[in-house]
Amino acid sequence: MPVVELAEVTKAYESKVAVDHLAFSVEAGQMFGLLGPNGAGKTSSIRMMMGITLPDSGSIRLFDRPFERGSLKRVGYLPEERGLYKKMKVLDQLVFFGQLHGLHAEDAHQRATSWARRLQIDDSLHKKTEELSKGMQQKIQFIGTLLHDPALIIMDEPFSGLDPVNAKLLEQTLLALKDQGKAIIFSTHRMDQVEKLCDSICLIHQGRAVLSGRMREIKSRYERNHVLVEFEGSDSFLRSSEVAEAKNFSGHAEIRLKPHGDAQKLLHEASAAATIYRFELVEPSLEEIFIQTVGGKVDA
Amino acid sequence: MHSILLIARREYLEQVRGRAFKMTTIGLPAVFALIVGVSYLSSLGLGANRRVAVASNDPALAEQIRHNLLGDKQAKATVIVAAPATPQDRALLLSKVEDGTLDGLLSVETTPGKQPAATYTSQSAGDFITTGRIRSALNHALLDERLTTGGMNQVAADALVEGISITTYQAHKDGTVVRSSAEASFWKGYIMAILLSMTTMIYGMNVARSIIQEKTSRIFEVMLSIARPADLLAGKLIGVGAVGLTQIAIWLVAAAAILVSPFASAVLTGDFTVHISWAEAVLFPVYFVLGYLLYSSLFAGLAATCETEQELQMYTPLAAAPTWLSFALILVVINDSNSIWSVAASFFPPTAPVIMFLRMAAEIPPAWQFAVSIGLLALSIWGVLWFSARLYRIGILMYGKRATLPELLRWLRYS
Repeated sequence: MPVVELAEVTKAYESKVAVDHLAFSVEAGQMFGLLGPNGAGKTSSIRMMMGITLPDSGSIRLFDRPFERGSLKRVGYLPEERGLYKKMKVLDQLVFFGQLHGLHAEDAHQRATSWARRLQIDDSLHKKTEELSKGMQQKIQFIGTLLHDPALIIMDEPFSGLDPVNAKLLEQTLLALKDQGKAIIFSTHRMDQVEKLCDSICLIHQGRAVLSGRMREIKSRYERNHVLVEFEGSDSFLRSSEVAEAKNFSGHAEIRLKPHGDAQKLLHEASAAATIYRFELVEPSLEEIFIQTVGGKVDA
Repeated sequence: MHSILLIARREYLEQVRGRAFKMTTIGLPAVFALIVGVSYLSSLGLGANRRVAVASNDPALAEQIRHNLLGDKQAKATVIVAAPATPQDRALLLSKVEDGTLDGLLSVETTPGKQPAATYTSQSAGDFITTGRIRSALNHALLDERLTTGGMNQVAADALVEGISITTYQAHKDGTVVRSSAEASFWKGYIMAILLSMTTMIYGMNVARSIIQEKTSRIFEVMLSIARPADLLAGKLIGVGAVGLTQIAIWLVAAAAILVSPFASAVLTGDFTVHISWAEAVLFPVYFVLGYLLYSSLFAGLAATCETEQELQMYTPLAAAPTWLSFALILVVINDSNSIWSVAASFFPPTAPVIMFLRMAAEIPPAWQFAVSIGLLALSIWGVLWFSARLYRIGILMYGKRATLPELLRWLRYS
């Protein structure tokens, strides 16, 4: 049973079509990445899932029922444009959000304290929000999203502004929530995180889904024509007739072969020119798939 | 409803605990009292301690004018008399006015069978208080002189010229008659109208400021995922309105405590007895709530279209114009609280709260007029809320640029 399902959803603002016949579904226990360059229609799609704006046509189903505001009690939403009440104390703020989601004050208090401990910000609970760093505030927003134990979690660019340590903590938390059976949708520009975390993706460009499906299945559509090479010596093999494109990072090269390019021949040329420590034929990264699919139209 | 109450409670507690609430609760009445006190104290000394010369060909008249001027305790004037005055005397006195030794010269010429001719020369053309006192002293002296010339004895003439004071009472429709003072009634109505307009404007602006701050802090999208835009707006209006009522209640309790104190009873005696009727006590919070809802919903719509507080301030004079109009109508209302203009202004929703209180100070209007006034206010609140809620719904999610008029019209269409 899909937790969220979009069918032929379209939304236009004046003459601009923000979302154009978009369709995808997300199951419980699935981590779903919504990708696309700036202005592709990711946030517009998410806002429609949250009932903040309404689609012009198409349908949105939450928890296998047509969209209704009551269903949002089971959804946790972290928007891209996120903020907090600056003058409020952190704990008061979290209890307020919890109560709005239908929790009793004591329950919300208990959950907020427990989450704060888990995300290592329990010593900030009694401070005013404005006294905290941006990263700390982001953790509080994250707790506010999860406090009512939602079955569906939607996060718009959740990793932006986080340092690597906190990004890792957030990743681990999301994976743990996925293991608990939560459906998680997040949008991001960070392809490495999508590749690492998501089971399925939908790549949107100019409002349309240009690529969607399970990550494994998408990657298998592309031939293994990428080679990673670690070497010492001459880089003349990077100009081989088998190579379409090469990036050299001081002894670490990323190579894209020409269609039907011969990797064995390239290995032979490389070993003749330099000492080879690593020569690995890999499938294209999501970033390369992204760039290939969206082409030169990316304005991000 | 649960969300509305939670949002209202948060808004209320946030503002009541804030420094601004504490400062305005204490500071505003203090500033108001200071302004009234300073105005009153300075008015006591206005036109006082003047050095005036009276030059006339009629010594008795000149002496009577001097007597009248010195009899005015507030004037504390120094008066010299030159009578009968020669042209040289007048020239000398005039030169003293010119060099500032004297503040003014009153020159009176009487000719039998003709109206006396009087001139007053001073360096200050705007000293209307002194001019008024001199005119009064002259007229009383002339009247006194004519009465005594006509055969009345001096004591009877003085008593007649001095006049008698009138004690005023106000008869109410319920048959009660209470002692009243037109001056005290005017000031009571005026102060209540100021309090009403000031608080509705202040709290209307608070709603607007709060919306701008939330827009700046980007909290809206988080909140919209939990509550409907209408609930957010309703919660904010109720919360901030409750803050206003709390503040007014504190002021009224403090004012009542002061009014029943021994100090107040020593100061506010006689003609300055202030009577606050039940109608005024009940209708004040009613008109505050209605006026506040009208202005705050208007400000909420405006704030949703603005990016910064500076931008909002550009609209404020426009939104506050009805309040200015109310105060411009004070004289019309005081002059005749039942004139067509007074009644119309008390029905016109933007001016209704202030004008109704000014009317009530003079005379309690009929019940049907309250019903019409309150009904029209409620109807206009509904209209403005409808309009503002549509702007609010879209405006709170628009960041980065000021909305143009065509965009605002589109927002109204989309909602």
